[in-house]
Amino acid sequence: MAVLELKDVKKVFKKGDQEVHALRGVTLTIEKGEFLSVVGPSGSGKTTLLNITGCLDTPTSGSVIYNGKELGRMKEKGLSDYRKDNIAFIFQSYNLIPVLTVKENVELPLVIEKKHSKQDMAERALEIIELVGLKGMENRLPREISGGQEQRVAIARALVKKPLVVLADEPTANLDSETAEEVIALMQKINQERQTTFVFSTHDPRMQKHAKREIVLRDGTVKSDERK
Amino acid sequence: MKTIITIAFRNLLRHKRRTFLTGIVISFGLFIYIFMDSIMSGLDRGSMDNLINLSTSAVQIYTKEYDENKESYPLKYGLQDLDGIEKTLLTHDRVKSVTPRTKFLGELSNYEESMPVIGTVVDPDRDKTVFKLIEHLVGNYFSEKSERQIILGKDLAREMGVEPGGFITMYALTKYESRNADDFKVVGLFNTTDPALNKSGVFITFDAANSFLDLENTVTEMNVQLKRRINFDDLLDDMEEVLDLVKKDLPGLSAYSFKQLGAGILALVKGKKNWGAGMTLVFLLIAAVGIVNSVLMSVYERIREVGVLRAMGMGGKEITWMFMCEGIMIGFVGSLGGVILGVISVIILTTYGWPLDKIYGDMYIDTAGFPVWGTIYGEWNIPLIIGVFLFGILTALLASIPPARKAAKMEVTSALRFI
Repeated sequence: MAVLELKDVKKVFKKGDQEVHALRGVTLTIEKGEFLSVVGPSGSGKTTLLNITGCLDTPTSGSVIYNGKELGRMKEKGLSDYRKDNIAFIFQSYNLIPVLTVKENVELPLVIEKKHSKQDMAERALEIIELVGLKGMENRLPREISGGQEQRVAIARALVKKPLVVLADEPTANLDSETAEEVIALMQKINQERQTTFVFSTHDPRMQKHAKREIVLRDGTVKSDERK
Repeated sequence: MKTIITIAFRNLLRHKRRTFLTGIVISFGLFIYIFMDSIMSGLDRGSMDNLINLSTSAVQIYTKEYDENKESYPLKYGLQDLDGIEKTLLTHDRVKSVTPRTKFLGELSNYEESMPVIGTVVDPDRDKTVFKLIEHLVGNYFSEKSERQIILGKDLAREMGVEPGGFITMYALTKYESRNADDFKVVGLFNTTDPALNKSGVFITFDAANSFLDLENTVTEMNVQLKRRINFDDLLDDMEEVLDLVKKDLPGLSAYSFKQLGAGILALVKGKKNWGAGMTLVFLLIAAVGIVNSVLMSVYERIREVGVLRAMGMGGKEITWMFMCEGIMIGFVGSLGGVILGVISVIILTTYGWPLDKIYGDMYIDTAGFPVWGTIYGEWNIPLIIGVFLFGILTALLASIPPARKAAKMEVTSALRFI
């Protein structure tokens, strides 16, 4: 079942008088439960693709269809609402809220959703914190835990609202080998156990190795789309 | 909302120094305003108290005929049933004391030159309970044998070249409008804060006036002193009540309160209050710049954080609120600090006062055209303190809107890329 479809997606940025074609007609279908990596050199359009896939940006032309719903022409408010309910992000530099504890950071997407009781939010946050192996660290602040642990918190934060798709931008780039392996293993485990769809951009060969499908981008076009 | 407030609050704690510095600007501005308002009101109060205690008293009562001709200080329209008037006045619980006075026009002469004067006939013992002339006296007050004694203003005495112990000749029309002259012994000089009184005021007793002016104990005005009130507005209200009492129980008489007698100085004081508004605006403008700067720095420091929150689906309105909360909190803490410092300063000013005479010696401060000296006590102005507190928060709120909106309008992708 297709979770996400991109049809001839193009994105043009204007830099002064010049036009930069970041994506030149990308067509993709992503199925539920995929563990998909997007690779390519710098400037190939990975981040733009992820931004459009994550409803953070809109395409210049083409369609973005989530679960059969066309989002490509939505305004910021509609996109924001869709993101809130269906999409989660994991960032290269974790981007935890520094003044919130681990538990509060994980609860944050649920707070923003405004659909859950306090107890429900706490239960779901503690469950996912345990899943990512950070039980006992709920009340620590981001500065009181390691980089690997921060990325685990970011993963927990991404998963707590059970999103349709998790988009990860270079999630292991700032981690040492051992921690990166742990984080990859954790994402794989969640992907398998929960059938959560993961789309990540990466340069990290360790991540590429674990991806079940790899899309190679170059100059804004899909050069290869290989299932492993 | 709770999370927004939590994030805002903890961010302020995270940047304690910046929060403290911005808050202290607000605190200092509000503190100075509350302090200055108290001391300026105290100075104004000092001016008005001096005028009441030296010249006008709180309430003056005359006959209607005297009232119609009072510019010429006629001696023939004396009050009747003084005891009855006094008893009626003392039924009001705010009335402290009552004293009779009679004013007359005269001329002082040292045989070389002469000066017109406004004379006041007083009952030495009772006058002290209403007026405070004795506190400004150089030399002596009236003794029991006061038949030929006079007290005059220091400036007048200088003009006439006379000192305590010396003699001066006074001319005046008697009650029956015949001209009379007599020599008086100068027992004391007064140096009040009222320049007009110092230049042209003379005081004699009823004993002296009975023979000099054929006065026959005629009293043309009754002067009423009221019990002290911390706030001058309350005192003005008491005066109005006494006026109502006179209107009701002494219908044949005219009565004027300080509100009418000192209308000029009251108008000056009221006009002068505007100084404070301008001063507060300057301080709050400085504070507002501080808040804009503080929140703007907070926005720039947390652009990626804003990006993450927006990526998670947090709306622009909530982002705006988050940063506005920071501004409001700084405003609240700063205003609270300012009010606490201000209240402490007012407590000190109202309890211990500001001893102008000890600090500045003989120099006096001219505030509303009527100088004051001695110890100046501060005045409470609770509505102003509440208003200043709310104004501080409102300024902080308004100052935080532009940077907060800037944060809310940021593009998510640009915010996430921001390093």
